[in-house]
Amino acid sequence: MEFDEQLVKIVTQEVLKYLRDRQPADGENITSCSNKQGFRSNDNKQELQMESDKKELQVKELQIRETGEAVAGLYNDEVVVGIAPSFGGSQTETINGISHYDVLREIAAGIEEEGLRCRFVRVFSTSDVAFIALTAAKLSGSGIGIGLQSKGTAVIHQKDLFPLTNLELFSQAPLITREIYRRIGKNAARYAKGQSPAPIQVQNDCMVRPKFQAKAALLHIKETQEVVEGRKPVQLEVTFGKKV
Amino acid sequence: MHRSKRFEVLRNRPVHKDGFVKEWPEVGFIAMESDSDPKPSIRIKDGVIIEMDGKTWDEFDFIDMFIADYAVDVSVAEEAMKVDSVEIARMLVDINVPKKDIRKLVNGFTPAKLAEIMGHMNVVEMMMAMQKMRERKIPSNQCHVTNLKDNPVQIAADAAEAAIRGFDEEETTVGVARYAPFNALGLLIGSQAGRRGILTQCAVEEAVELKLGMKGFTSYAETISVYGTEKVFIDGDDTPYSKAFLASAYASRGMKMRCTSGTGSEVLMGNAEGKSMLYLEARCLLVIKGAGVQGTQNGAISCIGITGAVPSGIRAVLAENLMAAMLGLEVASGNDQTFSHSDIRRTARMLMQMLPGTDFIFSGYSATPNYDNMFAGSNFDAEDFDDYNVLQRDLKVDGGLKPVSEEEVLAARNKAARAVQAVFRQLGLPPVTDEEVEAATYAHGSKDMPDRDVTEDLKAAQNLMDRGITGLDIVKALYQSGFEDLAESVLNMLKQRICGDYLQTSAILDENFNVISAVNMPNDYMGPGTGYRVGGKRWEEIKNIDMALDPEKI
Repeated sequence: MEFDEQLVKIVTQEVLKYLRDRQPADGENITSCSNKQGFRSNDNKQELQMESDKKELQVKELQIRETGEAVAGLYNDEVVVGIAPSFGGSQTETINGISHYDVLREIAAGIEEEGLRCRFVRVFSTSDVAFIALTAAKLSGSGIGIGLQSKGTAVIHQKDLFPLTNLELFSQAPLITREIYRRIGKNAARYAKGQSPAPIQVQNDCMVRPKFQAKAALLHIKETQEVVEGRKPVQLEVTFGKKV
Repeated sequence: MHRSKRFEVLRNRPVHKDGFVKEWPEVGFIAMESDSDPKPSIRIKDGVIIEMDGKTWDEFDFIDMFIADYAVDVSVAEEAMKVDSVEIARMLVDINVPKKDIRKLVNGFTPAKLAEIMGHMNVVEMMMAMQKMRERKIPSNQCHVTNLKDNPVQIAADAAEAAIRGFDEEETTVGVARYAPFNALGLLIGSQAGRRGILTQCAVEEAVELKLGMKGFTSYAETISVYGTEKVFIDGDDTPYSKAFLASAYASRGMKMRCTSGTGSEVLMGNAEGKSMLYLEARCLLVIKGAGVQGTQNGAISCIGITGAVPSGIRAVLAENLMAAMLGLEVASGNDQTFSHSDIRRTARMLMQMLPGTDFIFSGYSATPNYDNMFAGSNFDAEDFDDYNVLQRDLKVDGGLKPVSEEEVLAARNKAARAVQAVFRQLGLPPVTDEEVEAATYAHGSKDMPDRDVTEDLKAAQNLMDRGITGLDIVKALYQSGFEDLAESVLNMLKQRICGDYLQTSAILDENFNVISAVNMPNDYMGPGTGYRVGGKRWEEIKNIDMALDPEKI
């Protein structure tokens, strides 16, 4: 389906309106994104308009607060998740329409299921998923990090590997499901515990290119435009709220 | 709102699964004719280009510099650049203007000039021009031969069948990188079992690809990638100079090679510098020409999802093929990647190259079903063979393929599989069972093949490289196991790099190892009554599809 920029604009405006209504600006740098239940990106404008007329909306709300420069962890029972410049900010869902809320929640749950802690940082200096993941790994007390691009591409990295190698790479973002994100969290945690988990089998689909390649380029260009060269990664406080 | 039932039907058509994007020229998301493309210009002082396409010498990046130093002929540039672009476009279409007159001017063109000329042409005019500007008189076709399991016996059988079906060049690659020597070996033996003189390549990491070539496991190379912006070149750890060096490494050992370029790659990597895809491709093509390489594989290639998503994208793909032909390069014209869910759309895209004919209409028609295509799928695959043959017959167009009988295909597949079995035995590689030979003979794809011991194969493949086995050892192994004709064929393929005739532009070999190239069979099209015409024996081949009723038998 065609990528509808207008639609994104409408959704963004709607979210911003919500935020303004809810809390007065207090100078704190908070980004948040919402994902209406059952909302699909290919629904048309009129339908959206009709839906937004209804006042009662079930909205998942991902709130991301920056709490200062990220520091290296001291304990080896953590996995650091590094997110790209636009993640949960100007972009709110993956190329395949999975909300960033769900992506982070699944990964965090996967890590916690293995008994480890999850720490989030945002990387500003690059939009390259390998470098984001490596930055996260270097900040991680266990040496294991996960890198996430807004379009959903994910990498599990280890602090002492070359940037373009990795432990596991999930390059075909359109094929990553919520369940796979959870398993990415689990596997990262297992590497952190010193285990050798079986790599997650990635699906291959030759029709991904005609369907998603152009959209992937668009999303990547938009993310790259938000890169701030030289800016250090920041620590994040992530809350998974629900708006009624 | 009530929803229209017709719109619902339309929404469920395959074309709705394709990705489309509106133009966004600021980041290069535009196929051609962007307002931000530079205007053509040139200034020369004392035989040195001091200004090109609006940039002065001190503003040149390394691509500009390379093009100015090696690609543009300063002796004609000023005069050529003065000719109006519309006038050049008309000369391209005019059957009374010979190719050589145009070529002389093109030698003095800058990237912006080439892109501007394309902007004046529609697709029919571009096809007219391609028919005239193509280098080799006879069009040809290249295929992909790969499979999910990297099974070398299946590769050999599929290579043999592809050769019988008419492909003159065959390309393989790997799922698991370490399988490369086996895949190259299977392709080399299998292709010769189908028809003598087929050229083969194995597309892998550049150093491994070069090594396989030097050892005689392959006879040409294609995946030497060139990009249109400095940033993307640097990200790939390369420069035009390093590519030129790699190209000369092949030439120094007498091996055919061409580059890979194509629109869309710079956008995909987020560094298009706000220029149109076609303008950036024009830069690539001049880098290739400047490096002295005889040809290119272009036509968006693996970025077809980008170029194909924007308005006029498929026109731009034809335009990039045409620009390469204008520059005198061999053109392997794409059609090698899954492009659309819609059969209508993928066929229309392919006709742009099939109708005028190019040096290789597909730079990878999948000779296997697409599920086995390790290049992530091609625009046409083995399941489209009969459709393609009918298109040739309907239009009386030579698309490089022909109808074949089941008997001859099975015989060739079996011979190829048995030859691989014998060579593996002779070289002390993990055994190929009779069951595998049987399966490969009748298989459609790897789902019909038994599994091999992958660990043993990978160990042996590495060992094959370490032992210093070369093409001559393969010749010996074939000869000693009774495949004397195949031994002679492989030996003849090795001889090519000593005489070097197949380094000429657009070279392929016939079944007697004679080179057919732009030198001894140049395209001489100048309108009706000239150039390549389908006729005689070739037309008989194309005509005789077994689906047709024979009136005499009724």
